[in-house]
Amino acid sequence: MNLLLEYQTQLIDGTIMTITLALTSLVIALTFGLLGAWAKLSANRLARRLAGAYTTIVRGVPDLVLILLVFFGGQVTLNNIGAATGLWGYVEVSQFAAGAGTIGVIFGAYFTETFRGAIMAIPRGQIEAGISGGMRKSLIFRHIIWPQMVRFALPGFTNNWLVQLKTTALVSVIGLQDLVYNAFTAGRSTDQLFTFMAAAFVIYLLLTGVSDLLLRAVERHYNRGAVRT
Amino acid sequence: MTAPAALKVIDLHKRFGAHEVIKGVSLEAQKGEVIAILGASGSGKSTFLRCINLLETPNSGEVWLAGEQMRMTQNRRGEIVPQDLRQVEGMRARLAMVFQGFNLWSHMTVMENVMEGPLYVQGTPPAQAREKAEALLAKVGLSDRADYYPAHLSGGQQQRVAIARALAMDPDVMLFDEPTSALDPELVGEVLGVMRDLADEGRTMLVVTHEMGFARDVSTRTVFLHQGEVCEEGPPAELFSNPQTPEFQAFLSRMN
Repeated sequence: MNLLLEYQTQLIDGTIMTITLALTSLVIALTFGLLGAWAKLSANRLARRLAGAYTTIVRGVPDLVLILLVFFGGQVTLNNIGAATGLWGYVEVSQFAAGAGTIGVIFGAYFTETFRGAIMAIPRGQIEAGISGGMRKSLIFRHIIWPQMVRFALPGFTNNWLVQLKTTALVSVIGLQDLVYNAFTAGRSTDQLFTFMAAAFVIYLLLTGVSDLLLRAVERHYNRGAVRT
Repeated sequence: MTAPAALKVIDLHKRFGAHEVIKGVSLEAQKGEVIAILGASGSGKSTFLRCINLLETPNSGEVWLAGEQMRMTQNRRGEIVPQDLRQVEGMRARLAMVFQGFNLWSHMTVMENVMEGPLYVQGTPPAQAREKAEALLAKVGLSDRADYYPAHLSGGQQQRVAIARALAMDPDVMLFDEPTSALDPELVGEVLGVMRDLADEGRTMLVVTHEMGFARDVSTRTVFLHQGEVCEEGPPAELFSNPQTPEFQAFLSRMN
């Protein structure tokens, strides 16, 4: 216990990094997810194909491979492009940007499917009722599609988010000092790996537990009017 | 000069792929007329109704609402599209529709369903919209259900809410697409009762229905569609007592 207190700064910093990384990549993932769902349901064939390729490729490759590919390959590629076009000089891809970006894009593919399914679960007739009442597309989206899409997407969202939060642990392999990285480093230097990993275990459980509680409250709000069958 | 017809449809055609569902139907409704549209399933009667407010886009034909034409044009791919979506939206708001499946917004209460259009399409002030919604719910006999969600109502109650929602827009013409077909038999009466009251008030209504009694007793004119064409048309008293075509005779004998 004393040992954990001694290293509390590392643990707290690591936890903050994990949370920051998770939330940043969540914003990216939600953006990609909404765009992807919109593209998959669009009348435009090119948009549908691009979104199809995106989800197929991203969901078919291990997260770790993509993270390493973006972090190591991305920097080289960016610099090659910069050198070839002369548009920019040497750039360094930060570990945070690579980690948050890659995890965001990966989970965007999962959110794409979650949102697409949620939009398709909205009865077509309710949208027709909006159209026939003279509502504009934007109003139909805000008042009819969005609230019900959120409701249908929430169970999948909760699931994706928990997996995403845990996936942030992978960034420790590119040297980003998240909870796992700091706990592992502290554990090794003190020869108390078990103690520090147990601490990480508890902190992750706290983070996912709090998420679960919050999301359940959100779910209750969006389930108004729904009949449980 | 006489006032233009409340609703005029001229030579409407609609194809799904190679199959022509509506083969040139014209129809004119004067203000206050109640037109019952009959026909076997597959006769195109629902499609016809859905073409009027452009839930389906007709391949050709004209729709006029109180002397104003819904302007259509061809896009680059040769498809018929609205020339001005804002105009179409404005006309839709004056053409309220009641659906077979009610189609109430399930995440909104009864009150919110009825207030939605006035508040957000017409820009009515909230207090006024609420007052109006309350009056309409009283009219359809559902004042005590204002705070319920649609899922907690019977089909008949849901359809009466849907009628109140349609009325809230002060529509020029009301389109009813088989409003009682999804209801249990014992609930049909309450919905038809509300529709009868609307007819008595002088509302202009187009009613696609299988309710022969409603067509005979309430409509001012009955139209019988057969295979996408108007087969017979006239005052119900004449039409029902003296069907002219073998198609309508066969239809009537099947319905009775």
